[in-house]
Amino acid sequence: MIKGLLKKDLYNLATYKTSLIIIILFCSIAIIGTESITIAPAIICGIVGMISLSTFSYDEISKSNKYILTLPTDRKELVKEKYILAIVATVLGGILGMVLTIIVVNIMNYLRPENIITLDYKSLVISTLGGIFAISFLQSVQIPSIYKWGAEKGRIQMFILVLIIVAILGGIYFLINKTNINIDMEMIKNFINKFGVWILIISTVIMYYISYKIAYKIYKNKEE
Amino acid sequence: MDNNIELQNVSKKYKGFELKNISFNVPQGCIVGLIGENGAGKTTTIKSILNISKCEGIVKIFGKDNIKYEKEIKEETGVVLDDSFLSDYLTAKQVNLIMREFYKTWNENKYINLLKQFNIPTDKLIKDFSSGMKMKLKIATAISHNPKLLILDEPTSGLDPVVRNEILDIFRKYIEEDETRSILLSTHITTDLEHISDYIVFIEKGKIIFNLPTNELLENYGIIKCSKNDFLKLDENDYISYQKGQYQYEVLTSNRNTIRNKYNITTIDKPSIEDIMLFYIKGEK
Repeated sequence: MIKGLLKKDLYNLATYKTSLIIIILFCSIAIIGTESITIAPAIICGIVGMISLSTFSYDEISKSNKYILTLPTDRKELVKEKYILAIVATVLGGILGMVLTIIVVNIMNYLRPENIITLDYKSLVISTLGGIFAISFLQSVQIPSIYKWGAEKGRIQMFILVLIIVAILGGIYFLINKTNINIDMEMIKNFINKFGVWILIISTVIMYYISYKIAYKIYKNKEE
Repeated sequence: MDNNIELQNVSKKYKGFELKNISFNVPQGCIVGLIGENGAGKTTTIKSILNISKCEGIVKIFGKDNIKYEKEIKEETGVVLDDSFLSDYLTAKQVNLIMREFYKTWNENKYINLLKQFNIPTDKLIKDFSSGMKMKLKIATAISHNPKLLILDEPTSGLDPVVRNEILDIFRKYIEEDETRSILLSTHITTDLEHISDYIVFIEKGKIIFNLPTNELLENYGIIKCSKNDFLKLDENDYISYQKGQYQYEVLTSNRNTIRNKYNITTIDKPSIEDIMLFYIKGEK
């Protein structure tokens, strides 16, 4: 049944084909212009990840959830499918950005042997993971918000929630500075170098899991 | 006779609206019409049957609990909703590819043949369809997995008489193909039901007013048009309600023949379902 739900959303998203080509072209130009290898994965996984959430708007326009609940499926599968789509879109966006960077950088290095851009794969992977983490954070906040308040209102509520979270983190940072707590930055740097990738992956998984549980709880009790 | 749908004391409370102890059956081989004003509780009843909306009471479909056996039941049920479908941004061809993932018994050939029969283009976006085409596509989608039960919420609203007739023909054929099938059809266009339904369930303000065979309604009910003096001679138990006109009284009775013999009234009009509905809603007693 999830396959049917995915097919429906992918057919709806097919309208974004041209936009995706434009984004790829834009990112290629950005890589050439900035000679940065971190820009494309972040932008593409961000845009593709957020586009995947526009399926909620399609559902809202056609009131399709009400109809889908008459088919041999249930609310759990409906929510699960949205998360599968969001995660796959974000990861594929990141991979697409990485591949695009490798291709563009190699073409540039071939065409301009006098000005070689070093392709540091470790940085590329870390920046891609960072991009995926940031988008997964936004999606983890936005999906339950959409289930709670609808596609349009959900977006506004998401920004409010993100602002609150940023304000809390900023507040903690401010308090630490104010209270003159000594933090060994070198130790943190070493820790991040050693475990940064795993921290990003594990926290992304945890965020999605918690978000899914909240979204399902909201949708389970929602009237269509 | 076995029932494909059984509702016992189904209740549901919303802000400003309450569905109160709804009980009725949809027997096999029958078309049951659910009638009532907009907001009377027809859609809420259908949503409760399909577990789209949580309710109190017992709902059994094919003799099974509608929540416990939800997926199994929905595998054998086809649904048409007036205001909701998969997506307006799909083509009929894509609908086929999606639906075959949902139903084990999805019959692709049947679906394609129905689209041809209804003249529905396969590559055009649904949002560009006319209302009639959209409804025919919804019906083709609902019956292409050969369901035992069809639940239709306002399938003919907003359609012209020709298309409405075509759609009613589809329902007639569907029920004739297999005697274990049944249809629950909610509508406020009651004339459609006079031609195809076996039973009528009338809901008003969340309560069932009557649940009767269509024949009984059309054959036994009658409207007496009389003067005030003649009206005053009528026993209150012999009529359901009356409407006071400028020059005469119109009285609805559920037993035309008895009234005719008892009061020696010669002209008693045959009411339409709409007339009966209006007397129940607007009439006085």
